[in-house]
Amino acid sequence: MAPLDLVEIKDLTYFYPQTSRPALEDINLSVSAGQFVLVVGGSGSGKTSLLRAVAGLIPAFYGGTVAGRVYLQGEDIRNIPRRRLVQQVGIVFQDPESQLVMNTLEGELAFGLENLGLDPALTRRRIVETAAALNLGPYLSRPVAQLSGGLKQKAILGSVLAMQPRVLLLDEPTSQLDPMAGEEILAAIRRLNEENGITVILVEQRLERCFHLADRVVIMDRGRIVCDAARPGEAARWAVRTASPFVPPLARLFAGEGWREVPLTVKEGLRLLNRELSRAGDKLPPGEGPLAKKSALAGGTPLVKVKDLWFTYPNGQEALRGIDLTVKAGDFTIIMGENAAGKTTLLKVLRGLLKPGRGLVRVLGRDIARTPVEELAGEIGYLSQNPDDHFFLPTVEEELNYTRKKLGLPVPFDAGEMLAQLGLAGVAGKNPRDLSQGERQRVALAVVMAASPRVLLLDEPTRGLDYQAKRDLGELLRRLREQGQAIVVVTHDVEFAAEYGEEIVLLSAGRVVARGEKHEVLTGGVFYSPQVSRLFQDTPYRVVTLEEGRQILRRLRQGRDSKLRREEIL
Amino acid sequence: MQAIVQRERENLFTRLHPLTGLLYVASLAVLALLFSHPLYQLALFLAVGVVLLAAGGWQVWRPYLYFSLTMLIIIVGFNAVLGGWGETVLFVGPAFPILGRPRVTLEALLYGVGMGLRLLVLTSAFCYYNHLVNQEGVMRLLSPLGGRFVLVITMATRFLPLLVQEFNRIMAVQRCRGVKVTGASLREKVGSMVPVLNILLLAALERSLQVAESMQARGYGSGPRRVYTRELWRPRDYLILAALAAAFLLGLAAVAAGWARYTYYPRLAGLQPGSLLPALILTLALVQPAVLNWGWLHWTWLKSRI
Repeated sequence: MAPLDLVEIKDLTYFYPQTSRPALEDINLSVSAGQFVLVVGGSGSGKTSLLRAVAGLIPAFYGGTVAGRVYLQGEDIRNIPRRRLVQQVGIVFQDPESQLVMNTLEGELAFGLENLGLDPALTRRRIVETAAALNLGPYLSRPVAQLSGGLKQKAILGSVLAMQPRVLLLDEPTSQLDPMAGEEILAAIRRLNEENGITVILVEQRLERCFHLADRVVIMDRGRIVCDAARPGEAARWAVRTASPFVPPLARLFAGEGWREVPLTVKEGLRLLNRELSRAGDKLPPGEGPLAKKSALAGGTPLVKVKDLWFTYPNGQEALRGIDLTVKAGDFTIIMGENAAGKTTLLKVLRGLLKPGRGLVRVLGRDIARTPVEELAGEIGYLSQNPDDHFFLPTVEEELNYTRKKLGLPVPFDAGEMLAQLGLAGVAGKNPRDLSQGERQRVALAVVMAASPRVLLLDEPTRGLDYQAKRDLGELLRRLREQGQAIVVVTHDVEFAAEYGEEIVLLSAGRVVARGEKHEVLTGGVFYSPQVSRLFQDTPYRVVTLEEGRQILRRLRQGRDSKLRREEIL
Repeated sequence: MQAIVQRERENLFTRLHPLTGLLYVASLAVLALLFSHPLYQLALFLAVGVVLLAAGGWQVWRPYLYFSLTMLIIIVGFNAVLGGWGETVLFVGPAFPILGRPRVTLEALLYGVGMGLRLLVLTSAFCYYNHLVNQEGVMRLLSPLGGRFVLVITMATRFLPLLVQEFNRIMAVQRCRGVKVTGASLREKVGSMVPVLNILLLAALERSLQVAESMQARGYGSGPRRVYTRELWRPRDYLILAALAAAFLLGLAAVAAGWARYTYYPRLAGLQPGSLLPALILTLALVQPAVLNWGWLHWTWLKSRI
């Protein structure tokens, strides 16, 4: 062990109780003081178990069988009394709602300190300092129920930080938050690492937002560390070489095209692009005009028609103000916007869960205001933010049959083909709650699709999904769309919207502020545009998908050879 | 939901020491149980009503009022029909099997009103506690009496609204799956509830495991806890407690002297003029926090002094 190694894991293998497959297998990892380590991998790859092992929760809280050792500053953590351990290692989990225990923010910050039996005067001081460090001062006396998701997660982060740990473990702390709140949390973590020297081990799925923050990237697969890269760029190249999905979009784009340098941010990408341009004599290759042509939006039958829709909640909040929208068969519409823009409200009105205040909503020719929710169950599928809201039966198959039984459709039916199409072959007999997050999301979709609906409404379907699961979901929705289903997705995920959506509706304060084909809406923006669009924003190309970016990079390299004039393009 | 989630408002009541708030509610409840005179119950009701209105709590008080008034009508009705005591018969009803011919008396009617008034005071005091008392502060004050129990109560108040939210969400999802809730027969409705409650239970169990893990990781149970209190005593608390002590002692004196006692049966006792003044003073003493609140809101000098 190097003298500065704070955490050292040696030959760690771990089985959860009553499992035959190890959650962690032969893990060896040393983390030095002050390092920022990013751990990435798919669902079930062992990331969370790794954090639990470092926090001493494995095996103390979970039980199971463990081999190997975890050392903290050379001391086996199993020999460290818990009271001392929690002052050295703090852990923040995914969902703030499942961590907060007190009713006010101040009470939450005090919780850990009270558990340590600290003197009230010291507790007070620590609360004040933590609140100042995380800008939580103005909210101290607020009831937790009134805080936004971001503030709730900050409250948990604060509660852990108040105990002054040297190692901070974060298990997808932004997965349940919108991008703005997620950015804020990541910025706070970065500050803590840079200014306070806290060692950070972060598990995260939004790689485009945190890859560049890390000093080191560890990639896990099936309980093993498959790549331990000293620099994020190295990890990106490894991921592209091995076709691993765990790499941010820009790095994937450049590394995939064989560039030696791999950018992690738009700024770095622009530097590389400009350098290539100057090598090519400031000339971009000729193209056939902008790569992205205005793709003709599907011209199917209108299934959803919304005209001058207004909706006001009982507390007087006007959530929707004069919305007009048409969704046709074969459309893939993405609804985006900041928090409280009215996205979920709109989806609920389309499904009939909320009745319009004013205006007209017709779904499949029926006035939604006069149609009971249950009557449209066979026609409109609705997937809520939490897939677990669907499951109560012991097997996937029973869940599918239950949907059909409720609609008077014949049961049992052969779900094999549908499950295979959803990448769920072999799960029919399993309990849906035992599956990974991505699989649960798809099983929930299968439950909805068992009714063969013509319109699919999905609320934040990518929340908490890893890159691979997101890609699988995107491809699946694309296939469904091609089969003629109308798909409406509410999401904060710009990269997902750009890659798979067709039409984008941007909401703000209950109004449509932009609407159109994705190349129109997602290019030239500051916030609602994917990384690849921002990279090419100074070119005449309207690029939103990685494939389009790839084509331009290829042309650029070709253009270096062909000596064509820059004016044709810029 | 909002009835459960305590909300911070711009008023003096939410800025009192939790013990002050707790004692105010406790005094109201104890006096309501000790008094049998409807006039004294009315005095308590007026006081708590004025205080709740001063705190801007009409919106939250209204459902409590509706509930209590409905109960009051039921109590009065039942007591009038089934009580049968009293000598001033207002009318005699038609013959019913088992019950015979019910005699509705003035005494039984007014006895019901007296009981209903007591219920009004108690529910209004509960409303005050729910919306204006810092419950987490109260829990902290009580924690020396039983830390684990108090923490369980605190967590229950935190997770109950979450459970309500989850219930609504799961209900919506199941309705979208075709599970009939509206326009269904009672049997169908009960059947529809099975999956909803099942999911709710599973979600609650999963959440409880996650909460336990987070608590363990923050050192809960690693040794003796030391509860951190941060509540401050201010002149406003002393002023209110002084008025409260005066009101409480006066109430006890009224009970001891028999002013707050009232005999309904067999005939209504007459009103003694001497018992009116203590009831009035009682109301004024209990309304004092509302007066202080008015001053706190409108008089900067007072605000800075109390």
